[in-house]
Amino acid sequence: MKNYLKRKLLVLTLLVPISFLMAQDVRVSGTVTDASNGDPLPGVTVLVKGTTNGAITGVNGEYELSVPTGSTLVFSSIGYTSIEVAASDAGDVAMTTDVTNLDEVVVTGLATSVKRSNLANSISTISSDQLTGMTNQGTVDGALYGKMTGVNLTSISGAPGGGIAMRLRGISSIKGNNQPLIIIDGIYMSNAEVPSGLRNASGANRPNEEQAANRLADLDPNDIQNIEVLKGASAAAIYGTRANAGVIIITTKRGGQGRTQFSFSQDVGFSKAVRLKGMRDWNATNVAATFGDGEVAAFNAASQLFDYEKELFGETGLITNTNFSARGGSDKTSFFIGGSIRDEEGIMKNTGFKRYNIRANVDHKISDRVKISSSSSFIRSETARGFTGNENEGGLAVIYNLAYTRPWYNLYPNAAGVYPDNPSSSGNMLLVRDQAKNDDKVNRTLQSLAFDADLIKKDDQVLKFKWQGGLDFFVDETFVYVPEYHQAQVGNQNGYIGVGKNVFTNLNYTAFLVHDIFLGDISLSTSAGISYLNFKREFLYNEATQLIPGQTNLTQSGAKDIIQDLQNEEEFGFIFQEQANYNDQLIGTVGVRFDKSSLNGDPNKYYSFFKASLAANIHNFDFWSVDQISQLKVRVAYGETGSSATYGSLFTTFDPTNIGGQGGSLIDTQRGTPNLEPETSQEIEFGFDLGLFDGIVGLEFTAYNRKVKNLLFDRSLPPAIGFSTQVLNDADLENKGIEIGLNARPVSNETVIWNTNLNWWKNEATYTRLGVPPFTVPGNGFGLGLGTFYIEEGGSVTGIYQNGANGPEEVGNTQPDFEMSWYNTVNFMKSFDFSFLFHLRKGSENLNLSDLLFDDGGTNPAIDARGSQYASTWIQPAGYIRLREVSLYYTLPQSVLSVFNGTIQGVKIGASGRNLWTQTDYEGYDPEVSTNGTNALGTGLDVGPYPQNRQIFFHLNVNF
Amino acid sequence: MKKILFILLCAVVTFGCEIDEQVNPNAPAVETIAEGATETDLNNLVTGALARMRNSYPIYATATGTITRELYLFDADPRNTTDLIGTEGDLDNDSFYSTANWINRYRTIKNCNILLESLDAAASSVSAAEKDGYRGFAKTLIAHQFLVLYSAYFDSGIRLDVEDPDNFGPLVTDDAQVLQFVRDLLDEANDDLTGAEFSMIFTSGFSGFDTPATFSEFNRALAARAALYAGDMTAALTHLGDSFFDINGDLSVGPKMIYSTTGGDLLNDLFKTPGQNGNQIFASDTWVNEAQAGDLRVQNKVTQRAASFSKSGITVNYETNLYATSTTPIDIIRNEELCLIYAEANIGTNNVEALAGINAVRSAAGLADLVGTVTVDDVLVERRYSFWGEAHRMVDLRRTGNLNDTYITLDNITTTDADGNVIPATQEIFNQFPVPLDEVGN
Repeated sequence: MKNYLKRKLLVLTLLVPISFLMAQDVRVSGTVTDASNGDPLPGVTVLVKGTTNGAITGVNGEYELSVPTGSTLVFSSIGYTSIEVAASDAGDVAMTTDVTNLDEVVVTGLATSVKRSNLANSISTISSDQLTGMTNQGTVDGALYGKMTGVNLTSISGAPGGGIAMRLRGISSIKGNNQPLIIIDGIYMSNAEVPSGLRNASGANRPNEEQAANRLADLDPNDIQNIEVLKGASAAAIYGTRANAGVIIITTKRGGQGRTQFSFSQDVGFSKAVRLKGMRDWNATNVAATFGDGEVAAFNAASQLFDYEKELFGETGLITNTNFSARGGSDKTSFFIGGSIRDEEGIMKNTGFKRYNIRANVDHKISDRVKISSSSSFIRSETARGFTGNENEGGLAVIYNLAYTRPWYNLYPNAAGVYPDNPSSSGNMLLVRDQAKNDDKVNRTLQSLAFDADLIKKDDQVLKFKWQGGLDFFVDETFVYVPEYHQAQVGNQNGYIGVGKNVFTNLNYTAFLVHDIFLGDISLSTSAGISYLNFKREFLYNEATQLIPGQTNLTQSGAKDIIQDLQNEEEFGFIFQEQANYNDQLIGTVGVRFDKSSLNGDPNKYYSFFKASLAANIHNFDFWSVDQISQLKVRVAYGETGSSATYGSLFTTFDPTNIGGQGGSLIDTQRGTPNLEPETSQEIEFGFDLGLFDGIVGLEFTAYNRKVKNLLFDRSLPPAIGFSTQVLNDADLENKGIEIGLNARPVSNETVIWNTNLNWWKNEATYTRLGVPPFTVPGNGFGLGLGTFYIEEGGSVTGIYQNGANGPEEVGNTQPDFEMSWYNTVNFMKSFDFSFLFHLRKGSENLNLSDLLFDDGGTNPAIDARGSQYASTWIQPAGYIRLREVSLYYTLPQSVLSVFNGTIQGVKIGASGRNLWTQTDYEGYDPEVSTNGTNALGTGLDVGPYPQNRQIFFHLNVNF
Repeated sequence: MKKILFILLCAVVTFGCEIDEQVNPNAPAVETIAEGATETDLNNLVTGALARMRNSYPIYATATGTITRELYLFDADPRNTTDLIGTEGDLDNDSFYSTANWINRYRTIKNCNILLESLDAAASSVSAAEKDGYRGFAKTLIAHQFLVLYSAYFDSGIRLDVEDPDNFGPLVTDDAQVLQFVRDLLDEANDDLTGAEFSMIFTSGFSGFDTPATFSEFNRALAARAALYAGDMTAALTHLGDSFFDINGDLSVGPKMIYSTTGGDLLNDLFKTPGQNGNQIFASDTWVNEAQAGDLRVQNKVTQRAASFSKSGITVNYETNLYATSTTPIDIIRNEELCLIYAEANIGTNNVEALAGINAVRSAAGLADLVGTVTVDDVLVERRYSFWGEAHRMVDLRRTGNLNDTYITLDNITTTDADGNVIPATQEIFNQFPVPLDEVGN
């Protein structure tokens, strides 16, 4: 496709107000310490209030600076309560820790940030300690479970290597984008779920039924310094047309000035299935009742019953994770270099995940005013996922076939290594496990470059230029192989090979001018800039059938086919934002972004996304006199975001066909819609933050209403017109929710420090308008006979519908009534750290079609108790309470380490677990399940997933 | 220290960009064919239609076969048995057995309609006679697809006016009107074929039917079938006369849907690997047991198993042998059917010819000639064994008023009631498929 840019000039002019500078005539100095133990605190910011003039404390907590007479100094550091001291009284200062993290700096715009105490949105920040400090985490999304409000995570598969559906504040889209935008060090990182094409051999209906991982799995959680989650449109508005499902901003670790510090960690762990269904209590009577009298002879003839479920999922997987990093730097240049190797075996033989990762983050100050930063990483991931999920007569998905396998049939290979055909199903699971392949290899490079220049730097104002560019390039190579002697292949395809080469190139840059000015009581921050991105994807899929026996090379086949799909997306936007802060009492922000996209009907039409917010720190007003309440902030925020149609929605095209070797054209089932607009979210959120007893207790309450308008959806057309679907902008939905977070440090003394964090959140999503008659959501279910998602005005977005007496009716809902998590860390006797995280999902139902298969196959252990072969319904309660993470660490005391003469500075050993305990009424393998992959509207449909597992780890961390 | 005040002007030069109008790099757009289609474009549409008419034929054959209890498909989807024999209540209008056949028939029709619409503005190199050839082809194929829809959906409602996706006609529930529409369209197509020229390249399945004159014989064979369904025996006989009907000829002659292992092509999904249970078509025991002794059609079409096999309460002993390989062609209409149409159309008017028609089929099946007066039941018996697994049984029993449990032997399927007693399961014999939900929902 031809594509060129016509460039035109755009001039931004900024007028900067006048200001005066004052004389500096007092020198102050002292030491800052931690009030709880008297340890010196390095890195504390000491600022003259209302200016940018200040200093940072050194390694021993010392500081020294010149200040104007009569001024006030502000001491601040993340995790501590800020202190204001008159310059005349300044000297040694002791700071107390703060559970509300008021001084943490939160990135709120593409180029701006704000102190948490002044934030008007509920933005969750997860530190590296919270992310990976407790137990080993395979993937970044998996590490977020229960750690913040407003997020709903569902693991689609227990296979190693990821696969998690993430929903921030409910449902954002019916068709496209429900997974949040991920930005890592300024790079728009692809979180694509790349199918391997195994559906062409298994008969699965759609690419999203292939149970592929989402590619966030490539990122090593140990590289991450912190994660900020912009959950709704009010916080994410500045990201415009890509941010409808929220934004996750990931910052990786960087170096700092000082001695080079090395860190080594080794984790070793084991995984086991959370639960297995077990076998029926077989006897001649129930064999005859289930399979007819003719089957009893086969049952009686069998020398033993084979527990194939245990054979398949009874393995103990070994997980090892090795991490090494070095960080340090001079006053000009700092660096972080890290690498890791992860090797994870699944609970089924021949499945696993390996990830090799190397990262170099370098920052260099060219001068006091100019800084460049580079973040580079290279990742190689190798995944072997096996065959799970839905299929149609492919004889590949292991549970699909397990359900129909009668345990008196011997499916083990004979002495010659030949696997017998499965007499009661389309395939022998053991053959599939041992000899078929569904593999995936990713080679990926993430590179970002940032350039910051202070164009003007004065005591009362700064004008900065910020440029940041990012590249995410990866090649995802998939390989599917089914041997020609597999029983479903014999006489048909005679073996199948699918080789995919998928090339992703995401390029983006932003350029901003940011002007901060302090005008006495008011400070203003103005930013303006542009954003450009270009995503290219090329999917090349080669398949071969009629294989030459024993060969796994595409060339060695009688029939070959190629599928190529090219996608190109281009977007451009302008951003403007103004933030005003009156004495840290009132903080207001307004902003707007204009975006255009090649995915819209008119690629050059700009769509606007506004935002406005106000936070009032009541406790900073003079009248406030309640000492027990150290913080009271009320806040309200409004914002808009968008999401464009998925690639190709604009066109009506022909598909290629073949009959007897003769090529032809066939009308595609999708009718193109040339005039599509982006769907947009409009969110208003309000809430308050309360800090009690000088930051010992913090409470955060947020309520929101997020309306998604002009929803893009695949409307089912009456198929008689020759088209089955068309993308339309003709529905609205509404997410309403409440998020409550309670942080406290109930005990803090010499021997015990206990921090606790209780989160509670809920969301309800309802269709508020539908411009066409009700219809089933294409590509998201199994028809109204078995159960599917259904769009009707006033209906629940997450409802599972079936045919009822009066037409389609909701029979279950995949959305929980609420979720809750309880996170605790206890440090005792200075050396021990004990932590645990409970996660509760109340309510919600799944459609357990795996049980339908087990019922139909006659092998469901529930049949005996129930007395009838088929359950009356396969809608089952899917709530649970789960011990997500638990850990105990021991830090060796310095007295023990002294034998190393200071070479080794810290040693920590520990043990931890994930998913160790679960309580649920769900009868399937695990209530967390999604046969439709990560990005579909609906999770909670259960069709033969890879069972979830629990893990135990042992840890060793050494710093030197 | 005093500083002077200053004003700062900062100009930042950035780039705006103009995004191009988007063109799909992956596939030709419909618009490119609507204006100035070349012969290649038109031929690609012909091939596309011939390729697509095969899709979902297997589910149509097995679903109607299951409803009439002539066969069962045992595979990973239990709905292939339970739903279709009615143990789960009414047929679901949103399950594959109701939707897939409908969608693919209409998609084939759409391809033919695009072919018809693009003829007026086609390139000047396409002659008027060639255009008539395309018209005759497209209309015949459309009529065939509607005839399949009629057989499957009967009076549930069939949408006849579907050319304009923004302005389409109602669902027609009058089955006679549907049949008349099909017959008119076939006649119209046949008129187009007169004096037409073919510039398209047919598949090898149309070998012998790939000129306007011979394709017209295929058209007339379909017209005879439609006339029989309409009870218009006179017209049926007239159409047979213009078709490839040959009472002394090879019964297997007729156009076929072909399959190959070529990449992107389909395999014959009604072929099932012998000996497999997980994905297999079985003949019902009643179909085998009720056959006349020595009927070669039984042994040619099914193979007896060494042991019986049960699933969903149904016990079976005979698996399909209807197609030898996964690339064996499937007949669209063949001389065997024309002979039986001939026999049936002559009942009550010319018993000698009726006997000739039925005995042509019986002798090929190794059976003794029938004597005496031919009845509709006699013909139905032959049709039952001649067209096993070919989606004829449901329409045949329905049009003769026999689609019920006095004519169809139900399997003995049991279930357990609330008190734990074993009782016979409720079963249904469905008359037709429901119109898909997406069709009525819109």
